[in-house]
Amino acid sequence: MLLAQLRRIQVVIKTEVLVLPSRIAVMLFALFLLTVPFYWPDPYLLRILTLASIFAIFAASWDLLSGFTGQVNFGHALFFGVAAYCAALLNLHLKFPPWVTVPLGAVAAVGTGLLVGIPCLRLKGTYLALTTLSFPIILMGLVFAFPDLTGGELGVSGLSRLAGSRVGEYYVCSVLMLGAGFLMWKIGDSKTGIIFHAIREDELAVRTAGINTTKYKILAFCLSGFFAGVAGGLYAHVMRIAGPSTLEVSLSFQAVIWAVFGGMVSIYGPMAAVFILFPLLELLRVVPQLRNLAFALIILLILLYMPEGLIPWIRDRIEKLCPRCKARNFTRRSHCRICAAHMH
Amino acid sequence: MRRGVFLAAAAWVWVLVSMAGSGWGADEIKVGVVGPMAFTQGEGHWNGATMAAEEINAKGGVQVGKKKLPIKLVKVDSNEFLNVTDATNAMERAITYDKVDFLMGGFRTEAVLAMQDIAMEYKKIFLGCGAAHPELCARVAKDYEKYKYWFRVTPINSTFLVKVDFLLLEMVAKKMATELGISKPKVAIVAEKAVWADPIVNIAQENLPKMGMEIAGVWRPSPVATDVSAELSAVQSAGAHIIFTSFSSSVGIPFAKQWGELQVPAAAVGINVEAQKDGFWAATGGKGNYTLTMNTYARVKMTDSTIPFFDKYKERFKEAPNYTAGTYDALHILVQAIERAGTLDSAKVVQELEKTQYMGGAGKIVFSKDHDVTWGPGFVTAIGTQWQDGQNLCVWPDGWQGIKYEGCVDYKIPPWVRAHYKK
Repeated sequence: MLLAQLRRIQVVIKTEVLVLPSRIAVMLFALFLLTVPFYWPDPYLLRILTLASIFAIFAASWDLLSGFTGQVNFGHALFFGVAAYCAALLNLHLKFPPWVTVPLGAVAAVGTGLLVGIPCLRLKGTYLALTTLSFPIILMGLVFAFPDLTGGELGVSGLSRLAGSRVGEYYVCSVLMLGAGFLMWKIGDSKTGIIFHAIREDELAVRTAGINTTKYKILAFCLSGFFAGVAGGLYAHVMRIAGPSTLEVSLSFQAVIWAVFGGMVSIYGPMAAVFILFPLLELLRVVPQLRNLAFALIILLILLYMPEGLIPWIRDRIEKLCPRCKARNFTRRSHCRICAAHMH
Repeated sequence: MRRGVFLAAAAWVWVLVSMAGSGWGADEIKVGVVGPMAFTQGEGHWNGATMAAEEINAKGGVQVGKKKLPIKLVKVDSNEFLNVTDATNAMERAITYDKVDFLMGGFRTEAVLAMQDIAMEYKKIFLGCGAAHPELCARVAKDYEKYKYWFRVTPINSTFLVKVDFLLLEMVAKKMATELGISKPKVAIVAEKAVWADPIVNIAQENLPKMGMEIAGVWRPSPVATDVSAELSAVQSAGAHIIFTSFSSSVGIPFAKQWGELQVPAAAVGINVEAQKDGFWAATGGKGNYTLTMNTYARVKMTDSTIPFFDKYKERFKEAPNYTAGTYDALHILVQAIERAGTLDSAKVVQELEKTQYMGGAGKIVFSKDHDVTWGPGFVTAIGTQWQDGQNLCVWPDGWQGIKYEGCVDYKIPPWVRAHYKK
């Protein structure tokens, strides 16, 4: 039984993964993440990778809503902050452990997705972006208005650790990141994902085809809210504090920067961007005076020469589409791996 | 193509290697100075610690048992105003990569709370020199074993800051009564629209009538307002004799400038962080004359070390020290504790830090049971400083609890206020 399962996995790896360089890269990256504590248990490195995993979920969740569905959200920190505060309050006052508070925080973020999604349904483009921008600012006002509950400017601190050790925290976050990333990618690739795509391209046409776009747009808000909420809950327990910084406008814009840098409408693009940019910002601590300037310059240069984002740019150079069946193939192949059509 | 992949791989390995940690040897004592280094608060942290480290190293270093070890400062840019996550990463990097032995600094409370947790996890002594919130020390009282490595050196905690704020107001009210015959002054509360100022506004509204004063109204301009003439006109129309200010941001400059230009017949007293800086006089074109603000340092003899510290700092950095420069005292306190303990072991140094009786630049520093700096007569009091013809002079304590620091001068009611009410 076990042997059969292993053989099946082997076949899938051979026929589905090893055939494309991008999939090999993802597999190697996942292997790297899962093994790094064995040969490099440096707490600082693990902290950076833990936080990068959390923000990767957050950035991909923005892509799911704004990239796939075209519902541009400039206030994505709302989901993150709601889940962080919810997880923090449940942990601090009701002593719920992180494995309960993180999912409940994500559910709260889904509720917030509904609350935000419904009034925003009639809005599009700039109007939607500006309206969504206002929600975390409103919540920030409420946080300061009820300091007895929310801790005001201090936030809610003294939370339980996500796991008993740094390595434990790292594994919880990285495994959840890999799982959430895979799920979001599958959603984007599913029938629902195709409808999300279609809504972005031409909502009227989708409605004319008899599809209830309202339902799908709310679904996109809820799904995106859920994953951003998971990230928010994890963040609160890793940092052991949920404060006003989880609702800051700058955090919302960070998600946009990550997604645009890595390549929108891909899920893995924004996630890869976080794993490049987050450690890069740490690396630039060697030039403290120029740190932010250098960081901004790198992003600008990448976007100038790779307007579709870094990851699609790389992918397009190592893989190409089959002219007949549109399947992806390694550039060196002479014939399509699916339909055997000539590639040149 | 291959070259590109190779370069990308090399860059990634460089990222990882640079994170993998360095730091070696126990032939020096590494002290991490944590602060927002791109801002004046972080500069204060770094400058104060630099001055102290130079003095200590000039004397041969720190006597640890039989060895003399020099101090090496590590600049830890927390970027905490902009990014709390960044601050915690900086803290972790300082401890694990730079291998600092001790830490001092911090400013934004939310960030300091998160950084405090990391320092305590590694059992690293962290001397707070910026965040005033009581919660940081309340944690020591709640869970001593975990948080005993935290001490606050500066500023006094926010509860006491508010007390000093009201003592300054009381001093001005008394002066108005004795010199202008205004026995029940009307007070305009003008506080920037910021969270930290909310409790001060509430306490003022509750307590001013009990203090024998009348409230003329409450005005809350934006912290970054560039024009507050409307508020000042309203204050004047309300017949206020005193303006009780709470400004930590740039609004303190236009307020003081327009207050002087419009010659609003009300004395300004309270907190105006901009007025604590040397550049205030030039920024207001001298119109901020007679502004009174709470402060930490002035060229007065709070202790024997205040004036030498003040002069040396000003000579070296061409500006008066702000309160985050309390890292100067923090480093001297730490060094004394290490020398008494004869070891760098954190737990033993904590025991010695708890016995601290140090005459610092801002007063005598003694730690309370929850490791907070003690406030009150004979300890750190904070001071009130008033701009008088281009100089920021100490005017408080003016005999409060029998204290008047040598070098303090009398508070002056602005001449146009005096002229208005003497008519």
